[in-house]
Amino acid sequence: MAATRSAYTRREFLRLTGAGLGGLVVLSACGSSGSGSSTTVTFGAAVSLTGSLSQEGGLTKDGYTFYKDWVNAHGGLNVGGKTYQIDLKLYDDQSNPTQSAQLFQKLISEDKINHLLGPYGTDATLQSAVISEKYQIPMVEGNGAATSIFSKGYKYIFGVLTPAPQYLKGVIDALLEANPAPKTLAIISDNDDFSVEVGKGVADYATSKGMQVVADQQIPATSTDVTSVLTGIKAKNPDVLLGSGHFNTSVLIMKTCRSIGLSAKAYGFSVGPSVPDFKTSLGDAANDVFGGTQWTKDLSYQDALFGTAQDFNDNFNKQFKYEPDYHVAESTAACYALHLAIEAAKSLDPQKVRDALVSLDAMTFYGQIKFDSTGKNIYKPMAAEQWQNGTKVTVWPQAAAKVKPAYPAPPWDKRPSA
Amino acid sequence: MLTVQQIINGLLLGGVLALVALGFSLVWGILNIINIAHGSFVMIGAFVTYWLFDLFGVDPFLSIPISMMVLFVLGYAIQRGIINWVVRAPALITLLLTFGLDLLLSSLALLWWKADVRSVNPSYGGSRIQFGTLVVPYVQLSTLILALAITALLWLFLARTRLGQAIRATAYDHTGAKVVGISLGSIYAVTFGIGAAIAGAAGSLVAVVRPISPTMGASYTVLAFAICILGGLGNVAGALIGGLIFGLVDVFGAAWFGAGYADAVVFAILLVILLLRPQGILGREYSGGTAEG
Repeated sequence: MAATRSAYTRREFLRLTGAGLGGLVVLSACGSSGSGSSTTVTFGAAVSLTGSLSQEGGLTKDGYTFYKDWVNAHGGLNVGGKTYQIDLKLYDDQSNPTQSAQLFQKLISEDKINHLLGPYGTDATLQSAVISEKYQIPMVEGNGAATSIFSKGYKYIFGVLTPAPQYLKGVIDALLEANPAPKTLAIISDNDDFSVEVGKGVADYATSKGMQVVADQQIPATSTDVTSVLTGIKAKNPDVLLGSGHFNTSVLIMKTCRSIGLSAKAYGFSVGPSVPDFKTSLGDAANDVFGGTQWTKDLSYQDALFGTAQDFNDNFNKQFKYEPDYHVAESTAACYALHLAIEAAKSLDPQKVRDALVSLDAMTFYGQIKFDSTGKNIYKPMAAEQWQNGTKVTVWPQAAAKVKPAYPAPPWDKRPSA
Repeated sequence: MLTVQQIINGLLLGGVLALVALGFSLVWGILNIINIAHGSFVMIGAFVTYWLFDLFGVDPFLSIPISMMVLFVLGYAIQRGIINWVVRAPALITLLLTFGLDLLLSSLALLWWKADVRSVNPSYGGSRIQFGTLVVPYVQLSTLILALAITALLWLFLARTRLGQAIRATAYDHTGAKVVGISLGSIYAVTFGIGAAIAGAAGSLVAVVRPISPTMGASYTVLAFAICILGGLGNVAGALIGGLIFGLVDVFGAAWFGAGYADAVVFAILLVILLLRPQGILGREYSGGTAEG
């Protein structure tokens, strides 16, 4: 009897202790994976790491990662005297805007993230802004430029980048400096919010400067063939061909121009030329193509944390082994805007951070960051760059341009075949 | 002149579309199977060409026999192993099965190759022939010629070889075919394999002229379906005519109504055809293998 009772008791004791220890382990694991340890702040986002926008999404991720590594190595985030390290929680939305919104929901409700960064692209940002607005968590984004994001009366979305209608303004300005200046313009836009706004913005601006828009066409954003559209445009013989769409469309348009022999005097795109892969995808055909750009390393901006635009370029290049384009810069800038707002608010509380964002006005390596009453940054001008002889150079504004724009582009028959 | 150029563009596009539809038409007409996974076969063919080009520098046109062989083996195995069970079953069963197959294939492709869009960039990609202001890009011209060649080869195969005649015999009267000693199982498998191989060739050609991705298959299945209805089932010429008409309508639809409406125009015409001439332009019924319902 006695032996049985003590064995039972010992087993019971072991069982209870085991359960208790197990419970403690589980609780502590829960605690640490939740809101982070008490000296780390986690910024969260869903980014298009795969899918049709994977090029741009990868650049966004690198921009966020660079911010995290740089800040952690240079004093961290100062919240009212206490120093925090930064961590990132990123999910892949596969270039699917609905998925993006779902992942942001997950970040907020499951991962308990209180500081959100934007996804890539207007479509994803539009859908995800609904979520951040619903949960009243501020989201600072650098990759969704359509004004439609900011026209819904949302109070928790802030965009550091220059809005879409301005995108190709710098390209037109650079072209109009040429002698003789181009007169006719053809525009192809993807039929998504961002691209349509860019197309309309440049059409209005060019017309106001005395140019004639001979074609203004929209194509489905997922087009895999633009031969028919470009054949029609070729017949109108435009001086300038501008494309407003994402990386894949820009590459497709250039390849098709080459294969059907559409030789314009200048080509320009809203997204594409600034992405490093533009040159590897097109080879020689990338030369003389203009790109609207939010930022280049030649611009004379600077701040206390990242230094000058050139410093940012060199430091990023050292870590990631390629020179950052404007997608990288605007992503880091979005993180930095959130960073500055948290420091100004002296608090991690979402409401206080949001209020600090509203009154933020800072000069950074990326340019001036200040938000109007709807959350968009109308205080930073667009620039323009161009591929010349295999290198990307800034051609607008003139103060930042080290070389003149190359114009006109040689017709396809006169180029070395690539 | 612009109209002539658009006609050329339409025919160039139509040639590839015809090839996409040809394999689908063969399988539907002979086996009475509407193969929803057809687009995935096209996608696999496209990726075979892409990886051969990317990893080993194989010229995309030279990779066509390889992708055809890969798809033939795959198609044969799928037919023998899976679809054979439902060859004479109600249409809904085969639709369900091939739909599941399509999901499986495209999901595996998505898993292995990620959702990124890729393109094959041969060095001769920009060259073209010029007749005055008319432009015919080399690559598109070659794809049209190859599509026509493969179509002609298939027609010869079905009309002149023993195996081809056996296949047609099976479609006309499968009981009679059994009586004269034709092995139905292997005929079905070979036919499905040939249909898959042609889809693979179409995929390879598509890869040269358009960007590709693992999710591209679905739209090609719909395209094949629509072309078969337009051109008529039961013969090779139907897929060819249907494909060429499709290409022309797509190009002119885009030119007259805007690129966003090209698909709408195409399917509107399809509706008209269904109302006025449901068997399609060149449609004929196989007595044994009619497309029921």
